[in-house]
Amino acid sequence: MDWLDLGLTFVKTLAILLTVVNTVPIMSWVERRGAALIQDRPGPNRVGPLGLIQPIADFVKFIWKEDPTPANVSGVLYTIAPFLSLLPACLVLAALPVGDHLVVMGREVRMQIADLDVGLLYVLAISSLGIYGILFGGWASNNKFSLLGGLRSASQMISYEIPLAIAATGMVLFYGTLNLREIVLWQEGTLLGVLPRWGVVLQPFGFLLFLIAAFAETNRLPFDLPETEAELVAGYHTEYGSMKFATFMMAEYMNLTTISGMMVTLYFGGWHIPWIGDSQLLAWFGGSRNILGLFQFVVFFTKVTAFLFLFVWVRWTVPRFRFDQLMRLAWGRLIPLTLLNLVVSAVVLYLVEGR
Amino acid sequence: MSPNEWMIAGMGIFVLVCAVAVIFSRSPIYGAFGLVLCFFGMAGLFLAWSSPFLAMIQVLISTGAVVVLFVFVVMLLNLGHGSGGGVAGWVTVLFASGGIWTLSLVLLRALNRSPFYPAPSGAQGAGGLRAFSKLLFTDYLWPFEVLSVFLLAVVVATYVVARPEAGNVARKENR
Repeated sequence: MDWLDLGLTFVKTLAILLTVVNTVPIMSWVERRGAALIQDRPGPNRVGPLGLIQPIADFVKFIWKEDPTPANVSGVLYTIAPFLSLLPACLVLAALPVGDHLVVMGREVRMQIADLDVGLLYVLAISSLGIYGILFGGWASNNKFSLLGGLRSASQMISYEIPLAIAATGMVLFYGTLNLREIVLWQEGTLLGVLPRWGVVLQPFGFLLFLIAAFAETNRLPFDLPETEAELVAGYHTEYGSMKFATFMMAEYMNLTTISGMMVTLYFGGWHIPWIGDSQLLAWFGGSRNILGLFQFVVFFTKVTAFLFLFVWVRWTVPRFRFDQLMRLAWGRLIPLTLLNLVVSAVVLYLVEGR
Repeated sequence: MSPNEWMIAGMGIFVLVCAVAVIFSRSPIYGAFGLVLCFFGMAGLFLAWSSPFLAMIQVLISTGAVVVLFVFVVMLLNLGHGSGGGVAGWVTVLFASGGIWTLSLVLLRALNRSPFYPAPSGAQGAGGLRAFSKLLFTDYLWPFEVLSVFLLAVVVATYVVARPEAGNVARKENR
């Protein structure tokens, strides 16, 4: 570890963080235009062509807006709550592999901020911390609606973390590692010579369960019970305005991006494209590792974008659950089904591969 | 001191300060916040002791689930609004922190002499996760299971101690 390594890590961190932060304004545009498309109305179309400049206008508005602090809120916690929810969303990015590696000045530079041996556990652990922003924000606002939003969020996120983790464990049985980079490398090539060797091909059912739990973990419709407009006004961020509110929204969209990145890594082959291996691509790109790396970066984020659109699509298509239905779905359906998935995978692996 | 030792020392002080804050904050929610930071510092200590697996499990279980339940209960009962973050008198804090510091130094000395420190070779650092899991399910299986039975006993004992007495329940029902 010398100065060059340190500098390269800094550049990597900046590149990945900025890419993901920039999905936030783009998503705020996609969300509104997507909603408009599905509901057959124009949507924001005044600022720039197709309303594309709208996120910048929003940003300027959020920055210059007055930042009110309601009376009787719990000072410190009220102020830091939005950042408590943004911070884990940023930290999770450190473990996601967005490509294989580049070669800079004769050195192999992995396209991942930190290649952790316990990568999957790291992602699950840090993303479970995002709940504190919502909890403390809800409590510190000194408002019944916010408090109820925070309470709902706590029970919902704890409940859905369990099926999420068990579904991921089913995949770990196949990969035999928690290292996210090794997980992606495992998924190169084909299965039986026809299908891509992706997690979703091995465990389509497990992927479906993971997807449902992911929707609940990110508080998206049909599971956005912590912030239902109709019942709780806006839930935990009722009392927040201007940039503090925008920070909560940023955290939500960054969580969407990271959970999409997780799904791509675990189930959709990460940076791989079906049927064409890395060595074949490398030959096509004239042996240049750096062009291959950029290509992998684009492939990874194209897959992530597809999932982001899925989140928007579902949000404006499916109605909201009731809270008791939500809880019954987690404890009564998802957890037994994920456990069943885990046991069946273990038995099949034992019978087929004998390990 | 090596950078690693500096990290251990820093994290240790951080954990102790947070632990003191947990005990002396008058508002339960600020106490819970202190507990979160304290557990986070513990995870940092485990990392410095080259046990990344333990660090992640610490964050996942203690911080991500257990303290969330604490906060949930505090919020459900809506305890401690209004006293917002006040702490006990500084004399109490001073003496109690002194006690805690002494106790932790004794504990640290004991830990350094125990056969569990340092961790078995091969289970440390990068790439040690596989070795660690193998050890956990072979050599350390018996201590592990004994601990889980012990925890079960703690759960049952807590229920027995905290349960309302039979007479009380009957009286309440009669009322």
